[in-house]
Amino acid sequence: MKNTYVIKRIFYSLFVFVVVITLNFFIPRIGVVDPAERYYPPQGNMSEIEYEIIKQVTRKQYGFDVSTWQQYLNYLQGLSKGDLGKSFRPGSPAVIDLIVERLPWTLVLSVSTLLIGLIIGVMFGVVAATKRGRWQDTLLLNASTIMVAIPGFFIALMLSFYLGFELEVFPAYTDSNMVANFDWSLAAIRTVAYNAALPVLSMAVGSIIGHAQGTRNAVIAVTNEDFILTAKAKGLKQNTIRYKHILRNSMLPIVTSLGMSISGLIGGQVVIEQVFNWNGMGTLFLEANNTNDYPLMMGIMLLLSGFTILAILITDLVYVLLDPRVTVGDKR
Amino acid sequence: MKKKLPIHHGMARGIEKRLKNTGLFIKRIWSHKQGKIGLTMVGFLVVVAIFAPYIAPFNPYDVAERTTKGLPPSSKHLLGTTINTGQDIFSMLVYGTRVSLIVGVTSGICIAIVGSILGVAAGYIGGLVDSLVMRIVDIMLVIPTLPLVIVLTNVLGRDYWTIILIFVALGWTGLARTIRSLVLVLKNSNYVKAAELAGASRWHIMIRHILPGTSHLLIMSTALSSAGIMVAEAGLSFLGLGDPTAISWGKMLAEAQRGGALLFGAWWWILTPGIGIFLAVFSFMRLGIVMEEIMNPRMQRSSGVYKVFKNLNSAYVEEVFNSMDDYAKIGVTPAFEHGKGEVTHETGLKA
Amino acid sequence: MAKKLMLIIMMGIMVLCLTSCQNPGQIHRPNADTLYVGSVQASFPTAYMPWLSREGIAPTIAGMLYDSLFSYDEDTGNFVPSIGQEWYYVDQAGEPILTEDGSIDYARLEEVYSDPSHKYLAVKVIIHDNITWSDGKPLTVEDVYYSLDIATNNLLSNHAGALAWTSDLRHKYTNGVLTQRGLFTYEHGAREQGYEIAEEDKDTVIYLHVNKVLGSVMPLFTSVLILPKHIWEPVVTPQNQLNSAAPTEETLYRYRYPVGSGQFVLDTEESGSQQIVLRRRTDYHRTKEDGSPLYNIETIKYVLYQEINVAIYALLKGHIDVLDNSVSSNYLQLFEKEKDLFISNAPGTYIQTLVLNVNPVSSEQNPIRDLLSIKDFRRAIALAVNQEDLIKNVLNGAGIPASSGLMRSTLPDFYNPDADYLPIDYQARVAEANAILDTIVPDRDKDGYRLLNGERITFSILGSPGEQDCISYLEIQFQKIGIKVNYAAKGTQPESTYLYTSRFDMTLHGVSFSLSNIDIMYNAHFSALGRTSNYGRLVNRELDTLIENMRFTLNLNTKYDLIKAIQPILAEEYYKIPLYTSNVISVARTDRFIGYNIVEGSTVLNTSTLQNLKKSNVSR
Repeated sequence: MKNTYVIKRIFYSLFVFVVVITLNFFIPRIGVVDPAERYYPPQGNMSEIEYEIIKQVTRKQYGFDVSTWQQYLNYLQGLSKGDLGKSFRPGSPAVIDLIVERLPWTLVLSVSTLLIGLIIGVMFGVVAATKRGRWQDTLLLNASTIMVAIPGFFIALMLSFYLGFELEVFPAYTDSNMVANFDWSLAAIRTVAYNAALPVLSMAVGSIIGHAQGTRNAVIAVTNEDFILTAKAKGLKQNTIRYKHILRNSMLPIVTSLGMSISGLIGGQVVIEQVFNWNGMGTLFLEANNTNDYPLMMGIMLLLSGFTILAILITDLVYVLLDPRVTVGDKR
Repeated sequence: MKKKLPIHHGMARGIEKRLKNTGLFIKRIWSHKQGKIGLTMVGFLVVVAIFAPYIAPFNPYDVAERTTKGLPPSSKHLLGTTINTGQDIFSMLVYGTRVSLIVGVTSGICIAIVGSILGVAAGYIGGLVDSLVMRIVDIMLVIPTLPLVIVLTNVLGRDYWTIILIFVALGWTGLARTIRSLVLVLKNSNYVKAAELAGASRWHIMIRHILPGTSHLLIMSTALSSAGIMVAEAGLSFLGLGDPTAISWGKMLAEAQRGGALLFGAWWWILTPGIGIFLAVFSFMRLGIVMEEIMNPRMQRSSGVYKVFKNLNSAYVEEVFNSMDDYAKIGVTPAFEHGKGEVTHETGLKA
Repeated sequence: MAKKLMLIIMMGIMVLCLTSCQNPGQIHRPNADTLYVGSVQASFPTAYMPWLSREGIAPTIAGMLYDSLFSYDEDTGNFVPSIGQEWYYVDQAGEPILTEDGSIDYARLEEVYSDPSHKYLAVKVIIHDNITWSDGKPLTVEDVYYSLDIATNNLLSNHAGALAWTSDLRHKYTNGVLTQRGLFTYEHGAREQGYEIAEEDKDTVIYLHVNKVLGSVMPLFTSVLILPKHIWEPVVTPQNQLNSAAPTEETLYRYRYPVGSGQFVLDTEESGSQQIVLRRRTDYHRTKEDGSPLYNIETIKYVLYQEINVAIYALLKGHIDVLDNSVSSNYLQLFEKEKDLFISNAPGTYIQTLVLNVNPVSSEQNPIRDLLSIKDFRRAIALAVNQEDLIKNVLNGAGIPASSGLMRSTLPDFYNPDADYLPIDYQARVAEANAILDTIVPDRDKDGYRLLNGERITFSILGSPGEQDCISYLEIQFQKIGIKVNYAAKGTQPESTYLYTSRFDMTLHGVSFSLSNIDIMYNAHFSALGRTSNYGRLVNRELDTLIENMRFTLNLNTKYDLIKAIQPILAEEYYKIPLYTSNVISVARTDRFIGYNIVEGSTVLNTSTLQNLKKSNVSR
């Protein structure tokens, strides 16, 4: 039963992935009359005939000379070989190269945000749950309600203003030397930490509270369950119950939110990267969007969707495999 | 075919009662301490939005009323003037309420309408409709939202109605899925079965019996998704992808940043639209959370906040549903359900 | 126990935070000989094939790494030697057509080439004999031949830009076969064509056949950056074109490690997607008169910024020396408070105009738009524009009024003051405009707006978000004559701006005419229909004839006269109504380098600055 479910899940994920690839391909092309025109806008000195020749040249170069359907098939063929296509930038760099160049810098932010959020958040969450109704819990609740209503980029702007521009504790923007001179030396790593401080801080606030609330709710839900009550009835020590039973059993929902938040973080980082001049995937995506670089846009969207699908698949499978209470049934 | 149905069961009676007592519902929110704050703030914002021309000393849309650029706050210009255009910032702030509320609330309501129609259709009709809707939901769930919105605004245009359309097109999925799960339960309830036996038409049952059962979820979702959309709209405007002609808080923030408010030290220009966004989101969220607490007393406090975090993953309303008394499941639903080979509801329905 | 654990974790995080809190000693501008230049771009190029790049900083970098044959001096109207040393028109036998003092003899040129059986103009170019590529190989006319030849051979290059630059060169390929020869060197058919090139000149002399227009040498001389033949010939094939969208490894290598003839070489080690480092060549052929290097700066480092405010902040904090972008005049009051700043408030070269859709295609016509086809109606609109007011409000005073003839008054050879005949007093202008409109559309509604068939006359002005401010002030000005205008957002893509499909009422467009572009631009802006800058589809036969004559005359003096004659006609069409000429404002720091020069239409980082810049005496 479980095996069929696992296989089905995997196939279903593949199906979703193919549909997403298709959407990624077609959505940027909505309403575009002639991609060549978009890529090579007419210049003042061209006659209609000259421009027509130039458009033909451009179409052929970038593979627009065949039907959209054929372009789609070519794209799929490329993908099957792991080729995300070539960017429209001068020199036609491979999309995958551009992404690989930026991905680590985005991950620096996402992963550290996630770690800080997770560690501090889970701690707060456990405290709030155990002190339910006491000031710790109220504090968390109030902090949450307030922080969740403040957009992340606004926090980023304010931090960049006070800590960056005014007090100059942290750099208000990222220095390009950081990327150019990165060599894994301790000094270079510290430079990265120094530059990443504000972007991470502005995202960590939301992350901490999100994880704290999640943990608190999960812990409370578990605390009310039968086996904990049994444990209590058996007279087990308070701490043993708290850490051995409750926290362990609360881990699953926390893991779920973790899976979802990784790709969410990367996608949602666009604005923060913009504020701090951080050269990650978010800025790359905006660049691609501003220059109508479809292959690059498709590549990034595909990567993010792929991440999400994978995260969901893994969480689901982990669930089925680990949680004895979840049974799988085929209603058909 | 219209026919008054006899009320047999407690649950059906409960739902009937709920429907009739929408007024009572608002009263209950009002009697809730936090709810009172939420309602008051929302009311305040609505009043500001409606009477903006009377409250604002200048009309920020009227170029003739611009003055010297970059004035600091004074009694004439409470928050000074913008550095790039010389508009009165306080007036912009007041007028900005309109755009933010209209975009937020309209999108919220439209999401509720689309989500409920598709959710009810998927849950009650089932079969092909169900598979189709749920496949779309699964797919939309994995495409990164913000990048997709950016691409769509680029392709479809940037006026506010287009932006609302995009938000609705991307925002209905979470709600539809939750409604569907709820409908699956309602469908098997005795009073629906009774109506079917009595020969009521599908439409009649869907509109008269199923939809009312989801009404509270819809109201709550509208409040919470309005809040979420306001944040999203601000983010979009901040990236320069909002409506270029309208004055919204997000666009004010973007202009402040692009106009060099940080360099000039004009903190009031950046801080105030941020506070505006905060107030609007906070009050709508308060309302949403209070509604949830009233409907779902066992969860109590704080859980709603967590759900708003998940807003952009459109998963939060589902969790509200999951945690509701009658239908509480044990554990958490896998992040997306796999058609019919899904985690059964029966396992969760033990008392 | 649990509390201890928590405490330890907390401590760990605190330590992490503290270590990252410390400034790890980021030093800005560490190298005293390097000029640090900030540049606000979407991204920096990573490929340096000079022809590929059209956007952002790429053309600037390409121009520093590569040279063209000549550069053009707008002020004197002369070509400045670069790779080319001298050039002249020649007759059939290859004899120069020059006057006694060595300048072009236009009278004789006209005489020699007036016969319509002569299909082309022959040009002789002599290049410097001491130029080397950055890899040490000598640069000869064979490189020039190769570059111009491959630009026209669309089997090998297929380069859209190159096709446009060389359209006036009578050297044509059809499907990869040379069907018309228009380039002649010692090794490529000079003798057969009757041009004698001495053995010792074989590396320095090339003859070109170009269309019989004075302007046809312009793009060939100034736009085509010459490529090294020895680098590209071995790899370019019909399968692997010069600008292939799927370049091979070898081609990519050549993109990334450019070999140029320019005054700088790329430091490929230091350069990346975040910064570009250029180092001065020691063996560059051009020097100052005293033999010292042409440019004083040894190293230029371009640093990428995504946002202008960030770049300004970096400049103010001393992280960079120069900002190579023009900034809004709003920042002037910020800069004035700062020390150690050089503010370049250079006169601009672009005239911002309001373009009226005077002749929409039939499917886009409507009664309101039809009003714009009435010349008197357009005159009223032109009268209602108050340039002084726009300059004061939109540009904070950093600009000058523009001539109705659309020629900069700083170009005395071309500028015709007769084009500016509209009254200067704004009250009088508005009164006249209202008088005109009262005869065409006398009805008004209660708000004072004019009505056509009971409908308020409203026009949308297409513009980018940055132009919104300007349009807002136009709104006030047009209110005075009872015409309503509003802003309509221009799409980001050319096809969505609707300009070419006539789907607009009015739009804003910057124009800049000078001798270097006038052959192409007058035609493109006011005569040619289709996908040209003549968005409003102006048709004026008299103007067309004058423009044609101006383009085809072989006498420069006649050409100047015709340019002057065209301006009043343009002004009278009220088709592109001038709004202002905005200054180019840019800033630099003076704490490390001094000697910045202000150049018309350019930021503070211009060739003149680069030649003058020297280290500041104030040591830090």
